[in-house]
Amino acid sequence: MNGDAPAIDESKAQQSLEILRRRAESLAQVEAVDTAAELLELLLFRLGEEWYAVPISGVREIVNDFVLTPIPRVPDFIQGVTNVRGEIVSVTDIAALMRIASDGTWAGRELPSAIIAQTDRCVSAIVVDEIGDILDVPREALEPPLVTLDRSQVEFISGSVYRDGRLIGIVNLDRVLEPIGDNA
Amino acid sequence: MVEFDRSAFIGKFQEEATEYLQRLNEGVITLEADPQNRELIDQMLRDAHTLKGSSRMVGLIEISDIAHRLEDIMVKVRDGEIRYVPDMSEVFFEALDSIVFLSESAGKDVSGEVDIPGLLGRLGEAAGAASGETASAPGGPERAPIAEKDDTRNRERPGASAKKPSPKKAVHEEQTLQTRVQQTVRIRTEQVDRLLNLVSEVVIARIKDDQHARDMRSLQARMNETQQLWSRVRTTAVNLQSREGLAFNEDLNLLDELLNDQRKRLSGIVKTYAEDASRASTVVADLQEHSMALRMLPVSTVFNSFPRSVRELAHQFNKEVELQIEGGDTELDKKVLEEINDPLIHIMRNAVDHGIESLPDRLAAGKPAKGKILLAARQEGDHIVIEISDDGAGIDPEKVRAAAVRKGYVSQTEAKAMSDREATYLIFEAGFSTSAIITEISGRGVGMDVVREFIVEKLKGSLDVTSVPGQGTTFRLTIPLTLAIIRALLVSVSGQTFAIPTASIEETLRVDPSEIIKVEGREVIRRQRRTIPIVHLRDVLGLEAAENIGRKLPVVTVGFSGHRIGFLVNAFVGEQQIVIKTLGTHLVRVDNVAGVTILGAGEVVPILNVPDLMYHARQITGMRVRPDAAAAAETGPKRILICEDSFTTRELERSIFEAAGYDVETATDGALGLAKLQEGLKVHAVVTDVQMPNMSGFDLTRAIRADGLLKTIPVVIVTSLEREEEKAEGIQAGADAYITKSVFNQDTLIDTVERLIR
Repeated sequence: MNGDAPAIDESKAQQSLEILRRRAESLAQVEAVDTAAELLELLLFRLGEEWYAVPISGVREIVNDFVLTPIPRVPDFIQGVTNVRGEIVSVTDIAALMRIASDGTWAGRELPSAIIAQTDRCVSAIVVDEIGDILDVPREALEPPLVTLDRSQVEFISGSVYRDGRLIGIVNLDRVLEPIGDNA
Repeated sequence: MVEFDRSAFIGKFQEEATEYLQRLNEGVITLEADPQNRELIDQMLRDAHTLKGSSRMVGLIEISDIAHRLEDIMVKVRDGEIRYVPDMSEVFFEALDSIVFLSESAGKDVSGEVDIPGLLGRLGEAAGAASGETASAPGGPERAPIAEKDDTRNRERPGASAKKPSPKKAVHEEQTLQTRVQQTVRIRTEQVDRLLNLVSEVVIARIKDDQHARDMRSLQARMNETQQLWSRVRTTAVNLQSREGLAFNEDLNLLDELLNDQRKRLSGIVKTYAEDASRASTVVADLQEHSMALRMLPVSTVFNSFPRSVRELAHQFNKEVELQIEGGDTELDKKVLEEINDPLIHIMRNAVDHGIESLPDRLAAGKPAKGKILLAARQEGDHIVIEISDDGAGIDPEKVRAAAVRKGYVSQTEAKAMSDREATYLIFEAGFSTSAIITEISGRGVGMDVVREFIVEKLKGSLDVTSVPGQGTTFRLTIPLTLAIIRALLVSVSGQTFAIPTASIEETLRVDPSEIIKVEGREVIRRQRRTIPIVHLRDVLGLEAAENIGRKLPVVTVGFSGHRIGFLVNAFVGEQQIVIKTLGTHLVRVDNVAGVTILGAGEVVPILNVPDLMYHARQITGMRVRPDAAAAAETGPKRILICEDSFTTRELERSIFEAAGYDVETATDGALGLAKLQEGLKVHAVVTDVQMPNMSGFDLTRAIRADGLLKTIPVVIVTSLEREEEKAEGIQAGADAYITKSVFNQDTLIDTVERLIR
């Protein structure tokens, strides 16, 4: 899923070709469909060696220097809470939640970065290893999630998009940020 | 008799009356459109009644008379004697406007300006006319001449029909409107809440200021030390300076001046800052107090509906109970007030059902036939104390112990070891029932645990019960005045700071490690002839061990539901006021943590949830002998025996239980049922009818209780007998639950059985 082509196995290579072909098509279409074609704005972020994205519509802000307060006995993907200008926001370790290897750079840093994401139901600070660019993607360039994804992972990824030799998984915020302890 | 000054209460009355008048005005309009609206009629009746009573209290007799007439009308409307017709609205409005006027001009003689006798007459007529009775209007002539017309009003209220002209002068109306605007402003609760939120931010900033002031003072102390050190260095330097010459000397002097200047400036800044901070702190405290007061309402807003509820409850149980209310004007945060209604109802229900004895029992005990419940509220510091006492039978700790053992909350030995007081607290356990029997209204194990949940978990208050057998029971609820700000003890556990609400804390101790005794693998300490189990807070919170500072171990003992537990922490950090914040929208409910607070330095500190801590502490130490393990070992469906002679009922019950996943055995009478049990049929519960051939349900229950092997099986009696005496016989026979067929439904039955065999 990353840019290191030689490491990609055959089925992935084939998929990549397919993706490239589709991308070529979609690029060819861009002019024809004109700019009115629906664009999806994505914010990229890195977890370990992989890149993921969240729709900008679900991003409230980015914090670069939050202080974490651990909360005892919460699910392991909840790091704790942080104080965002007086508002208490949970801190979600998305890598732990999706079981993706993070290089943990954020944890080593004193003041790590996080994306404050929100859904209709809740707000959480999602910690990531690195925050990337904002990407405009035409909706039709979106692809279904990789079929090889683990079933437990697939529910967290709503689709993927191929850019600059990288396949980027788009995170399904509604699934990632479900209120915890509701009706418990 | 002591003459009391009524005028002090007139302001209160005016405030209160505005609310009722507003509702009545709205009510008249709604009633026109929907004259059968029972709820509305009841409410208007209550409002008129309250107006009548409170105006009389403050000596505004005219208002009381008018309100009395309104009440008469509403009673008749409620009882169906008359129908509310739009024509009546006019006289209603007239009455309400007159009350407004009289209330504003309270105390002044306005007899020349308002035609009260005429109004009373017209009201009497409205009450009488529709039912065909002749109206009588004591206190005034039957039909007073109409003083003056007020056409403006009719134009202003298109909803009201304009048949009866009003006698009031337009001038008065204008005055009334003016004064009203000046006295009160209606604000949406959300607006107040938003304001309070901002105020709590200011409070946090103020707490930070304190911290900053402390930091600055310590900086100043360092500065002084530096200065002293410098003076010594300088003296030495001056003595050594011979070789270096003048330039060095000049530098020394410059540095000396600089340091002096810095010290002076710093002390100036510190002084100004401390002064400013302390002035701001006074203002913030006032701001906080006043803004909190915005949301304060007298407890009577909730209490006032209770006399009626109690009367109805008493009626249900064939008892006579009188509710006495004290301290209704004690004020409480609206949010707290909203939460407190249900727990109070539960407690009073409990008092009526279990507290107050049946009439024969009361007479036998030499008590007055009429039972008494006292509901009293008062403020104590930053808490409100609400006490509900009844003069009933009291809670028998022996019964509670027996029931607790039977239901598996505590073991036999634990029950024995408990003090009476501790045993009494068992009634707050979830699903626990004080009563030996389950009835529809209470004793079904819901109630007291709900009370506990509300008071302790939601309101962060505390709950206490004292009972004297034969004399009565008193529940004492201590509730913080506000939910937003509480006092808390900050403790350090494994390097992290946590806040524990002070209200839940019994005491803080520093115990010598040698004072900790090991008993049956558990650690305890002795304190005032009581044994208190000790648990490491870090174990409950799942944190790593950390080094204690000092040799004595800091222990926080918390008391809840009659249990006491000492939590070992690493250090006490201090006690202070904290602002409660939720954990955010993502973490809706988290074990052990009730919320967080932000300390002076911006540090976020979790606030611990004491009941949760105690629950988990007891799980850790294995003090909880809930039959969880036993239940888990018994795999497969639960089996139940139904004894019922009626084929239809039997099959109905069978289908209900089978649908809920039970194995069902049936018997057509008590004797056959007992035979099955004695032959070794293993069941989890017996559900029996009362009237059956060969052996009644009561006899069956007695037989089961008398049999050494069977006596622990829960017995549920399902019957059409509803009289108290029969219920009493059921209790005596030893049944665990008693369900009458009239309220019989699937859920009641399944719930009851599940609660018993849990």
